[in-house]
Amino acid sequence: MATPGHLEIRNVSKTYALPGRPLVNVLSHVGFDVDPGAFVTIVGPSGCGKSTLLRLIIGLDDDYRGDILLNGRRIVGTALSRGIVFQDHRLLPWLTLQQNIGLSLENSGWSAKEKASAIRDHIGLVGLSGFEKAYPHELSGGMAQRAAIARGLANRPEILLLDEPLGALDALTRVHLQAEIQRIWEAEGVTMILVTHDVEEAVFLSNRVVVMSANPGRIVEDVAVDLPFPRDRAHVDFIALKRRILAAMGEDERRPASPRAA
Amino acid sequence: MANTSDTIEGAAVEAGTVDRPTPRRFGFGRVGRAPNLIGFILPFLILSLWQIAAARAWVDPVFLPAPLTVVTAFWKMATKQHLARDFVASITIVGQAFIYGSVVAVALGIAAGLSRKVEQFFGPTFDTIRHIPGIAWLPLIVLWLGIGAPAKVLVIAKSVFFPVFLNTLQGIRSVEKNYIELAKVLTLTRWQLVRKVILPAAMPSIMVSLRYAAGLAWALVVVAEGLSGLEGLGFLIFRAQGLLLTDQLLVCMVIIGLVGFAIDRSMYVAQKRVLKWKQGYDG
Repeated sequence: MATPGHLEIRNVSKTYALPGRPLVNVLSHVGFDVDPGAFVTIVGPSGCGKSTLLRLIIGLDDDYRGDILLNGRRIVGTALSRGIVFQDHRLLPWLTLQQNIGLSLENSGWSAKEKASAIRDHIGLVGLSGFEKAYPHELSGGMAQRAAIARGLANRPEILLLDEPLGALDALTRVHLQAEIQRIWEAEGVTMILVTHDVEEAVFLSNRVVVMSANPGRIVEDVAVDLPFPRDRAHVDFIALKRRILAAMGEDERRPASPRAA
Repeated sequence: MANTSDTIEGAAVEAGTVDRPTPRRFGFGRVGRAPNLIGFILPFLILSLWQIAAARAWVDPVFLPAPLTVVTAFWKMATKQHLARDFVASITIVGQAFIYGSVVAVALGIAAGLSRKVEQFFGPTFDTIRHIPGIAWLPLIVLWLGIGAPAKVLVIAKSVFFPVFLNTLQGIRSVEKNYIELAKVLTLTRWQLVRKVILPAAMPSIMVSLRYAAGLAWALVVVAEGLSGLEGLGFLIFRAQGLLLTDQLLVCMVIIGLVGFAIDRSMYVAQKRVLKWKQGYDG
């Protein structure tokens, strides 16, 4: 079992400078804590900086002000203690499913036997047993995304980041994989941070939903979700929470939709 | 390769999955399917027309001997003359030139692909040399190395080098940035990145250029042998023209065509095998 990570984001700000244009405040004084083993979702409109924040946490970008700490230590660069699942599954097309997952274990320092069993366990965890030797083009979109989740978890990270992992899937597969992610999160006990703009997905999966807004990218609301798992999407409390988050995003469905720049 | 199919096709997705696996062909099974006869229709028609033209004496036999005469000539060349020796001479030159040219090209292509400095160092020189055709190099090289095989190997290797070098470089440069980012997230070392990500990603483009270069090398050996030397199919074909031995000339042409065809097909199979992970339009 992975040791769940405790993530602290403290007063993080980031600006982009494009030539000939005013500075863009992508993130402005963003701060929140993620308890070990928690499932926290960041929702917000396009351009609110939620994906940028994930890039900072994973360590692909270290040009920011403020601090991001994992288990009390400032994160530096990328590390195997932080895994990520991208919106595109990003499986390497020339590697089979098990080789793709094995790629995340290249520098784990584990023995061949430990690697093989981690690969087998995680393929089983995401329900892809029997497809070990399939190439990515032989998998459906949903299966590829499961494989990407298995790759993200195989080296037992302290925290797993999910960057709109279900955004490119059809509605039915999406609902199904939401249930799968919920099950996997409970089974692995790993801290997960999800970025999405699907509010229902956020309420379905999370202990907490952090609502962000654009210009500048900032946190506008932090909503605790205390409903028992597995959650009923039709329950009145579920819907009330959904409505509250949509309202915080300025997207309350009871009002006529306000025209908003994409 | 074949073993992938039995493990996968029998497998089912675990309970509760909505994703349905579609049964698909695996590996390069399509290469091994029964030969399609449609491709033989046109050669048959051409052969028939040739036979009719010869039988009706539409063309003077000096210009176009009958197919049977050509077959007889082939037999004579193979048994009484040294067709096999000439054939081996040509094949050896092409084989050596192709291996030297492509090995150096892939190696330098990778180096240049990975480092702008290397690319800038070689760039101007290569771009100039590239535009002097191999055949234009031949007279000078023959002055240095004589009319034997080494001069031809060198000139053909040069012609093989450039398409492979440029495609290797291009293939490496067009690796998706997303994959590089992934490698970073997985903390791959530079060597792991090259071996596991960059080279496989560049492989389709490298394989295409190797196939093209192999055909090119075979075509060039005929020209090179025609221009200098005393053996090889190219030499035979120009000698036959000079002596008005049209039947022998045709024998050489047919052999050149068939060998070229065989080279291309084997490169295609090699390409399919190396790129079996790639899903392409199969017609």
